Amino acid sequence: MEFGPIFRSLLRNRARVVLIVVEVALTLAIVANCLSLIMDTQAQLAKPSGFDDEHIAVIQSNPFDDRLRDPAVLNRLVDQDVRALRAVPGVRAATHTSLRPWESSGQITAIRVPGSRGEPTRTQRAETDPGLFDTLGIPVVEGRGFAEAEYDRGADAPPDQVLPVVVSRALADQLYPGGGAVGKPLADADESQHFQIVGIIDRFYNPFGGNSDKVMLVPGRSVAFDSGSYYLARTTGDPGSLISQLEKGLLGVEKGRFLHLRTLVENRTEFHGRDRLLVASLNGVMALLVLVTALGIVGLTSFSVAERRRQIGTRRALGADRMAIVRHFLLENWMVTSFGVVLGVALAYGLNFGLVTWVAGARLSPAMVAAGALALWAIGLGAALGPALRGARVPPAIATRNV
Amino acid sequence: MLLYNVRLAWKSVQRYPVLSALILLGIALGVGVSTTFITAYHVLARDPVPGKSDSLYYVRMNSWGRGDSPFRQDPPPLITYRDALELLKSRIPVRSTATFSSQATIFPRDGVRPFRDGVRLVTADFFPMFAVPFRYGGPWSREADARPESVAVISSALNDRLFGGANSVGRAIRLEGHDLRVVGVLGPWRPRVRAFGLMGNPLRAPEPVFIPLQLAGPMSFQPSEMQMNWRTPQPGEEALPYASQLMVNEALFLGFWAELPDAGKVREYKSFIDAYVSEQKKLGRFPNPPQNRVTSLLDLMEEERVVPPQTKALAAISLLFLVVSALNLIGLFLGKFLARASNVGVRRALGASRWTIFVQHLVECELMGLAGGFLGVLLSVAGLAILNRVYGDGPDGVAFFQLDVPMVFAAVALSLLAGTIAGLYPAWRICAVPPARHLKSQ
Repeated sequence: MEFGPIFRSLLRNRARVVLIVVEVALTLAIVANCLSLIMDTQAQLAKPSGFDDEHIAVIQSNPFDDRLRDPAVLNRLVDQDVRALRAVPGVRAATHTSLRPWESSGQITAIRVPGSRGEPTRTQRAETDPGLFDTLGIPVVEGRGFAEAEYDRGADAPPDQVLPVVVSRALADQLYPGGGAVGKPLADADESQHFQIVGIIDRFYNPFGGNSDKVMLVPGRSVAFDSGSYYLARTTGDPGSLISQLEKGLLGVEKGRFLHLRTLVENRTEFHGRDRLLVASLNGVMALLVLVTALGIVGLTSFSVAERRRQIGTRRALGADRMAIVRHFLLENWMVTSFGVVLGVALAYGLNFGLVTWVAGARLSPAMVAAGALALWAIGLGAALGPALRGARVPPAIATRNV
Repeated sequence: MLLYNVRLAWKSVQRYPVLSALILLGIALGVGVSTTFITAYHVLARDPVPGKSDSLYYVRMNSWGRGDSPFRQDPPPLITYRDALELLKSRIPVRSTATFSSQATIFPRDGVRPFRDGVRLVTADFFPMFAVPFRYGGPWSREADARPESVAVISSALNDRLFGGANSVGRAIRLEGHDLRVVGVLGPWRPRVRAFGLMGNPLRAPEPVFIPLQLAGPMSFQPSEMQMNWRTPQPGEEALPYASQLMVNEALFLGFWAELPDAGKVREYKSFIDAYVSEQKKLGRFPNPPQNRVTSLLDLMEEERVVPPQTKALAAISLLFLVVSALNLIGLFLGKFLARASNVGVRRALGASRWTIFVQHLVECELMGLAGGFLGVLLSVAGLAILNRVYGDGPDGVAFFQLDVPMVFAAVALSLLAGTIAGLYPAWRICAVPPARHLKSQ
């Protein structure tokens, strides 16, 4: 191979070499960092809730009629609502709960193992009826769920009564690392209220307040005129097509209220909106950048071919075949791109250090740097191929002209 | 001379249309991408209350009443109702306000179904402090705060919906079964960052109804955005009137702002807060170590990460993108200029100085830069439209991200920068061409 002559010819065209090297290096640095940010965000986006998201409708009911200020009326309304939701054809299960999946809202509470010292454990907390597990599609894998009687009692349980609770696996494991949490006691942070774990659910992920996988479910209704009530309905088919029937069913029970219905997937999409936008933006910037860099390499290689038509003709006249010419330009380009890639790896880590230190972002993963480097090598060769083939078509006769 | 150079540049564009189009496209892409993401950054990071933000201070203190306070590094982001009412009495700040957000059912007059929307509870000082624009009427008086009077300020959008856009000052709106007299109607107002509600979601639109803070009791308004509780209610407490419950339940849900015109006042106010907290300690409240903070608006925005780090990262990356695009153009300009090296040789032989040639080519680069920059601004309008599909429109129907005058100037500066990066070396190379070599072959 002609490494020696090519290298010497590169030294004579320093401006062009430096341009390509810097451009390739910067592109690699940006692409590697974009890829890392994308992978990091994608990982967040891909986390499943563990719920049957695709088949759940979300219903918020806010009373405005003064008749509904009576707690007894409001309590009765909740039971009627859940029955009305279950009666809609296509609904498999319905629940009255304060758990709000994919809404980044809810309640955070501090609990501890009774008698323990130190920092209490923070967890999401929600009140719910027994239907929650069927509705979300999260079976209680150890122990049991709630009984209707526990749910009915929940609202006016005296503070000294021990409430049964169902907890997520992550919370159970943190409080009772040895396992066997079912049947064990819990208390709130100042031990004024006591709980007993009666069941554990395996699947739970609801990003909110930095406690995404921890939840403590308490049987009970949180019914108040001012805060309204919240229902989830699980459907056999697409919940979007049932929205109007669900609304009609509920308005049939009581008109003196404001209803807001949507699907859980809509909630989730909204929740992820900005992260999706970030990924799309990064992808867009990356695609444009690679395009611009490829065009730049095409341009510079074209000039270098055009500049050297006479040399090419001479080489052809002295017996080099077309392949030799193509090989020359590809090899030259590969060498330049390689310099760029080496510099780019260093730049990528430098840029990443800057981003992580001053701005924030994801740590660079070596796999992403390698992927970026491979991509740039391929792009460099691809971009040089056209001009190199054009160079190979230079006729040997050109060497004889105008000497 | 400049005009002459402009004409030469135009001739050069005509001679190499494809190459010139590529150069234009390169600059347009670079400027378009960077302007889009820098605008996104700028809209979030710029001063949300121009001219006032230097004197607006946010007050925090740790009133958590149990030993399990989750606030180790920083105090809780919000304060209690009773502390807010006490702090409002201080006359050290020029103005001060305590605020929280709630939900209410609004009843239109004409038998239309009622609807639910947000309500913000504030004091009279809120409006001048946050430079809220009025279309009709104005804020209520400080006396109306204390009584409290049943008054309201409504947004222009709500005024359109309820009163068909007419001057509704003096008329009544029905909210949660209470009639409130409208004293003011806001002009179009959609701060991109709502300085007064940084805790929670700072990008949310302002609520359409504003009412006096102390109506919270009689109208039983509960906070709808963020509330922290540590106290277990005593038996029988539910039977108390809601206003008394607010005073005793120690729930943290209000943001507190003070307007302090100079550093002396800030110091004075800080010691006032310290004194207030030690006073409360003597009364048996505030058992945790004091964490009193009086933080300026801009510092608080930094602390609360109002600009998401990813947005900063994207802005930085998009600037680098512009640099790569400009580097790219060096090669194109170089090719374009060297292709007419013989022309330059003739001009030099006829007496043009190196400097003249250099300026001529740099002017061409800057003109291409500006033209590309213009296209780039158009591209960024399209880019921002895509971002707005996620961030949505404000209630005023104006898209969330918009180019403003400073950003257009920034785009022009970026295009000139791109032109300079791309043109400096090629222009220098071409003006260094020795005339003799090119004359020979003519």
